[in-house]
Amino acid sequence: MSSALETRNIKRTYQMGKVTVAALRGVSLEIKEGDFVAILGPSGSGKSTLLHVLGGLDRPDGGEVLIDGISLYALNDNKLTDLRLQKIGFVFQFFNLLPRLTALRNVELPLTLANVSEQESVKKAGEMLELVGLGDRVTHRPTELSGGEQQRVAIARALINDPKIILADEPTGNLDTTTGGEIVRLMQRLNKEKRQTFVVVTHDPSVAENADRILFLKDGLIQGEKKGFGGMHH
Amino acid sequence: MRRKQILAMAWGNMKLRRFRTSLTTLGVVIGITAIIGLASLGEGFRVTIKQQMEQGFELNVLTVMSGGLLTGVPSFFTDDDIQNISKIDGVILATPLIQKSDVKLFNDDKASTPLVMLAVNFSEFWTIYTDRLVFENGSLPQSIKNDTTVIGYNVQYYTENESFAYPGQNITIQMTLRRVPPPARRENFTFNLAGTIGKSGAAGFINFDDTVFVPIDTVRKLYNTSSSDMIFVRLANPSYSDVVAKKIEDRFGAEGQVRVLVPATFLEQVETILSMLQIFLTSIASIALLVAGLGIMNIMTVSVMERTREIGILKAIGARSRTILAIFLTEAAMIGLIGGAIGLPLGYAVAQVMGRFLFRFSAEVTPKRSIITGSSTHPLSEVSPILTPEWVVIAIVFAMGVSILFGWYPARKAAKLDPVKALRYE
Repeated sequence: MSSALETRNIKRTYQMGKVTVAALRGVSLEIKEGDFVAILGPSGSGKSTLLHVLGGLDRPDGGEVLIDGISLYALNDNKLTDLRLQKIGFVFQFFNLLPRLTALRNVELPLTLANVSEQESVKKAGEMLELVGLGDRVTHRPTELSGGEQQRVAIARALINDPKIILADEPTGNLDTTTGGEIVRLMQRLNKEKRQTFVVVTHDPSVAENADRILFLKDGLIQGEKKGFGGMHH
Repeated sequence: MRRKQILAMAWGNMKLRRFRTSLTTLGVVIGITAIIGLASLGEGFRVTIKQQMEQGFELNVLTVMSGGLLTGVPSFFTDDDIQNISKIDGVILATPLIQKSDVKLFNDDKASTPLVMLAVNFSEFWTIYTDRLVFENGSLPQSIKNDTTVIGYNVQYYTENESFAYPGQNITIQMTLRRVPPPARRENFTFNLAGTIGKSGAAGFINFDDTVFVPIDTVRKLYNTSSSDMIFVRLANPSYSDVVAKKIEDRFGAEGQVRVLVPATFLEQVETILSMLQIFLTSIASIALLVAGLGIMNIMTVSVMERTREIGILKAIGARSRTILAIFLTEAAMIGLIGGAIGLPLGYAVAQVMGRFLFRFSAEVTPKRSIITGSSTHPLSEVSPILTPEWVVIAIVFAMGVSILFGWYPARKAAKLDPVKALRYE
């Protein structure tokens, strides 16, 4: 199986006033296509920074990120933006839906940005909402949806462009345990059904334990790895 | 991103902040209203003045005066001068004129005071001003006698609702004859009234309504002179004006010896001044639009801050900087377009109202007779504003241009936001 994502020795430091914070201190990892990987770490371990760097949102100070064999940060801003649109789907802790758009329009947004015709994009967005179990919430706006429903919309939006990889940043962090469990199960189902690669960053071991692989991040370094329940079923 | 969607997003945001957007748009409306109001009023004013002046000037008639004073030095021109001028190419006719201002008219016990007595060659002078000097009573006799006279409208109706004299009647003209040595003495002469002319207005510096016409030969004899004060020159075509005027000036040698009043040039100068006035007024009005532009800049800077997170989301999922820029600039352009579309008819309406009332008021306070319009028949009581297609285009382009220009800075700021920081923004 080829690798969907590969990093080589990524480093990222921040300037916080006069203090230099080393958020990532040389992270190298490889994620195979179709894998469901959890990156587990305490807060302040550099999880979010790593996810942003993996997703092409934050240029590292050193190292390389390859998605589908393409070195992200060798691209200019426009090419990098286009690559995010084509190959990466994001799921955030705070859902990050556009408040004024309906569920359907939110899901459709990446297709709109990619200049897909309205007729086609509306049809696909409808199907995707059906897939995440929100076929009856198409015309609802984010404020009219529960947290779990909003996160489902966000997942549908992340999947709509059929990306190479889905990057989720604490996807259950803003949900109660039951709903969080449902969201994790949904992502796992999509991982199995659509052979979609998932990388989930979390501090919650109960979320991580169902992944195929669990990577432990601490102090800006991968400190270890083990198989999750998902991996054991293979 | 699809154009329609960019438009929808910009429009959606405007709708969401309806009150704020309306106020910003109102700024543009006021700016465009001011510009269009003043521009169309200025255009109407220019056209009205031009029309009135064209009525006041025969474009194919040049007036030759001696240099110096407003109406020149008296008794400057000889009959040779007139002969020479009439030989210039393009000149149909050159005719002399003597004007005397210290005259009085009597008809038995009735008196009338013309402002000026014009001594002319009747047949030549009426050839030049056929269309203007139309008889209200009587007519020009076949053969002009020494005592033939014609009076203007204001002379005939010097006393309100009462005619001064009728054709065929004898009237007395009292002239002040200046002799060498002084003193001057007043003498009465009897003339026979051939006719009276209707309202005719002015040509250059002479108002025909305040005039008594007498034969030039008679006046020359009485005043013992063979010269004349002015020469009226009729051209075959107004386009010869400048060339003929130059030739006449050259004929009198030294510069400043004579002045040739060229109506076409004078009209052009007045029109230039009016155009400049119009541009000046619209420039001032443009300041209102610039202030509106600052309003747009202000409101959009706030809007970008409020929507930082939204911009972050869009950029994270793959919206290029250009797309973000387009969304915000579209919003600015729409404010400009809507403001312009409302301001355009509003400005024209304001101009209509002002054209009707402002000039009516000023017509009441200004004297009825002015040197520019000459005629007392059409005081400038109403100006119809004129909205030319050019100004429509200028207004809309200017409204959108200013909006986009001032929207550029905040839009640029939005487009350059770092997605990670924008996503963290609370």
